[in-house]
Amino acid sequence: MIREENISDSEIRVIGGSNLQPTPTFPWRVVAVSLAVIAAVVAVVCLLWPKAPEQLPEQGIFEPETNYASLDNAPKTHPLQGWLASLDSITAVGTITKDTTVNDIPLRIYVPMNSTPRLEIGYGALDNRERNILFFQAADVRADNKKIVGAFVLRGQPLSWGLSKRGYCAIIDGKVTVGVADNSPLFEQATEHGGYFFRQYPLVDNGRLVENELKNKSIRRGLCEIDGHIAVVATQSTESLHDFAQALVDIGVSNAIYLVGSTAQGWSMDAEGNGTKMGLWDERPYKNISFIVWPLTSDI
Amino acid sequence: MLNTHLVISTSNDLLRVAASHILYISSDGNYCNFFQTGGEMRLVTYQLGQVERMIAEQLPELSTQFVRIGKSLIINLNYVYYIHVPKQQLILVDGQQNRYTLSASKEALKALKELIEKNSL
Repeated sequence: MIREENISDSEIRVIGGSNLQPTPTFPWRVVAVSLAVIAAVVAVVCLLWPKAPEQLPEQGIFEPETNYASLDNAPKTHPLQGWLASLDSITAVGTITKDTTVNDIPLRIYVPMNSTPRLEIGYGALDNRERNILFFQAADVRADNKKIVGAFVLRGQPLSWGLSKRGYCAIIDGKVTVGVADNSPLFEQATEHGGYFFRQYPLVDNGRLVENELKNKSIRRGLCEIDGHIAVVATQSTESLHDFAQALVDIGVSNAIYLVGSTAQGWSMDAEGNGTKMGLWDERPYKNISFIVWPLTSDI
Repeated sequence: MLNTHLVISTSNDLLRVAASHILYISSDGNYCNFFQTGGEMRLVTYQLGQVERMIAEQLPELSTQFVRIGKSLIINLNYVYYIHVPKQQLILVDGQQNRYTLSASKEALKALKELIEKNSL
């Protein structure tokens, strides 16, 4: 009888075999149960131990006194608030960029003006760059079979399924939603409304940093929701995903998911038609590559 | 009569695939991808553990040619071509000489290597 999920990544078993079944390994289960019992005992002791009265931090001479009670009620402000509010959202065209530095991380913020994004498969966006004000690689490509990673909907057509990354972006009837969820009804809505949907690593969820397992440093990009604007934020230096996500939180991003960084292709064009290429444009190996593309308003 | 095909049925569709055409099956969240000889891949809306149980139940005589490797893979032993334990690399080759490079833990690959060595004696 098969023990359905009773297998770890360090084990193998022959299906239907009677003489082989998970390969003998170190008795992790015994160790885990023992540790759980010890942890439970420690937790009970800690809970029952008499507590010292809760103390506020001691006030220093050189630090202004803080009214802790009022902090939660204080209006949330962030460094980009004034700049974002000043953007002319009715007549502006092209992508408006701003450079800033947060936590010693140089960031460039791209805000595409008066354009609704869409997803595209293949490298067509590169060849038609003059008709787009901004694009970056969206979903990842699987290393083993070169398919799209995670659920993906292109103009209402589901092309990929599965949950490998919890962050998502949905573009439905002109509305862009960036969020974090295992299952999102927006996937089905995208298929019903001719919309778009893709998944990526989550970075920020309702103003809180989301931890990810990727630990290396690289050029990072994120699709962000900030003060009602959809923007792309990119680092100008190689950073860990954690530090990047923290920087996004600190500049006031409410929701963000990762966009492929490093040498992945990207493009931005300002109001005067001056374009900037990012990444390596000569390498085009993946037919399932996907881009999130903001077209010129006249091309929509 | 020897059952040679695996049938996976849902309310909407049915997949019937010859056991000998299954190269490997990988989990993809709550679903599985069937990779078949010739390069065809098909997604099924079952978890890998459920597919493992179907193989055991429907293909009792052939099921021992399939090996579950860790939480995310089932492979067809007949297509194992190369195992490199330190590199955590497992290469399958189908009848048309297409190569499929997979990754698994060192412990699992070591156990797989020993299993194949034992079966070849």
